[in-house]
Amino acid sequence: MTESAVKVDRLEKTLGSNRVLRGISFEARSGEIFGLLGPNGAGKTTTLRVICTLLAPDAGSVEVLGFDTRLASREVRRRVGVVTAEIGVYPRLTARENIAYFAELSGGVDGEINGRVDAVLDRLDMRDFANQRAESLSSGQKQKVAIARAIVHDPPVLMFDEPTSNLDVLASREIREFMVEAKGRGKCVIFSTHVLHDAERLCDRVTIIHQGRVVASGTTSEVRGGYQDLEDSFLSLVEAAR
Amino acid sequence: MNSVGIVFMKEIREILRDRRTLMAIGLAALATPVVLFVISQVSTKTASGLEILFSSTGLKLERIDDPATAAKQQVDIGIAFTSSGIDEYYDPTRQSAQIADVRLQTILSRYDAARIAATLQQKGVDPSVLDPLPVTVHPLSSPTKAAGNSFLSFFLPYILITMSLTGGLSAALDTSAGERERKTLESLLLTPAPRSHVLIGKILAVTAISLTAALAAIVSMLIALSQISFGGAQNGAFNVALSPLAAVVMVWLAVLLAASFSCLTIALGTLARNFRQGQAYATPLYFITIFPASIVLFIPDFNPNVAYYLIPILNAVLVLRDAITHDAVAWSALAVTSASLVLTGALCFYAALRLFTREALLVRS
Repeated sequence: MTESAVKVDRLEKTLGSNRVLRGISFEARSGEIFGLLGPNGAGKTTTLRVICTLLAPDAGSVEVLGFDTRLASREVRRRVGVVTAEIGVYPRLTARENIAYFAELSGGVDGEINGRVDAVLDRLDMRDFANQRAESLSSGQKQKVAIARAIVHDPPVLMFDEPTSNLDVLASREIREFMVEAKGRGKCVIFSTHVLHDAERLCDRVTIIHQGRVVASGTTSEVRGGYQDLEDSFLSLVEAAR
Repeated sequence: MNSVGIVFMKEIREILRDRRTLMAIGLAALATPVVLFVISQVSTKTASGLEILFSSTGLKLERIDDPATAAKQQVDIGIAFTSSGIDEYYDPTRQSAQIADVRLQTILSRYDAARIAATLQQKGVDPSVLDPLPVTVHPLSSPTKAAGNSFLSFFLPYILITMSLTGGLSAALDTSAGERERKTLESLLLTPAPRSHVLIGKILAVTAISLTAALAAIVSMLIALSQISFGGAQNGAFNVALSPLAAVVMVWLAVLLAASFSCLTIALGTLARNFRQGQAYATPLYFITIFPASIVLFIPDFNPNVAYYLIPILNAVLVLRDAITHDAVAWSALAVTSASLVLTGALCFYAALRLFTREALLVRS
């Protein structure tokens, strides 16, 4: 069995007066697309933010490739790339400068950084607009910049938080294809979404969370169970959890 | 390059491509000479008017029926000759009336003295008995230079402090509140770079811009002053120049002020959800910058004890005023001022760091 790349154990988190996570646990492995599913407000984004060290857990633990997020946050951040629905870029920098900035902050020597930026520009087919200021790019092009800056340091763990929610059909397809490609290169891909159709097509295993608790976990077919598709199963599980 | 340098270079690049900041610096450099030119014209006209007034042999007399009523608006001062002397009517709220009053008193006292001297001479008495203790004035510095220094001692601290704040304000809010508004903050905090390094890089960039804006405004002001004369050609016209000592003190204070303001404005920007909210938070700072310079303006002979030099901004105004006016620095005052501004900057940095490292930074957005 493949070793866990991300291990979440009895994780709890309260934000303000809202108890967002109530002891969730799951493991995501290298070379798979792991779906983190749930309705809006279930705690998916908070879980991802704890995994990538933006938030500290109140209880429980999170390990990324053996590094505890509380004890070795910088080591974790070196190994994680995150793509969110928010495709914020620096408007007065070019696409290349945006990517290079994150490459530099992720470490490495200057010559190496240029090579990495060039590689990611080629990989995402961004050469045509690499030297345009980000303020003049389309949404799809900005999303490519956002992906590029998340992967420019070649992290072994990639997390996608509702990555297609602001994109058109073509751009959404490119994201999906990118996730499959990353999986093929042995990356651990965590895909957080409430679009169950996408999850069913892409994910090897899924965990469904609702109101901060795990309500189902397993391979996509296991979680689907006797239902026709994942959506029916999901609705049934969420209804039962209420 | 370490992460502080990487963030600094990126911020500088972005700021230099931001029209708002460039316009702020450009306007500062251009507006100051224009304002000074207008002031010089006004002061020249005032001086010319006074000159005419004081060098003329007599007041411009106009016959009126009711001096009290006429003194309200029609004339500067109304007088009525009576059997016992002169009744004078004037409105002390009018500056022209005040000047006319002083002039009338001067002329009348000279008239009295001349009459007394003539009477004494007629009776064979030397009129100098009326002036038993003649005074010979020896000014310790050139009155024209003193006038120039006095002018600089108000304007230079005011411009220094105002530009240290406003020159980098847009950049500070853009790099803090703007980062959150553009949704780039989360990605930035996801990098392995320590948050303290990211913050220091941002503060250094904003400080550099604030300092540039302040120095650009001051240099343009000094260039303009070297070309403009104040006080009128026939009334002791003077040019204004900054001494080397005052220039060194000014640059040192500019560095401290720019760093403190950068920390403060970035802290306020970090509290804000967007650029506009950041501007609302920063608005009260304008009053804080204007107030100390106003004290110096309205209390020109304000000689504070050393405790006053603990008050940030006011202390910078006082030290710079002393350096300009007396061409000397009280080192103890400068040391207290420097320590006070460094401490203020450190406290603002600590506040900014606390705000920048708390979880609410992301959750609130």
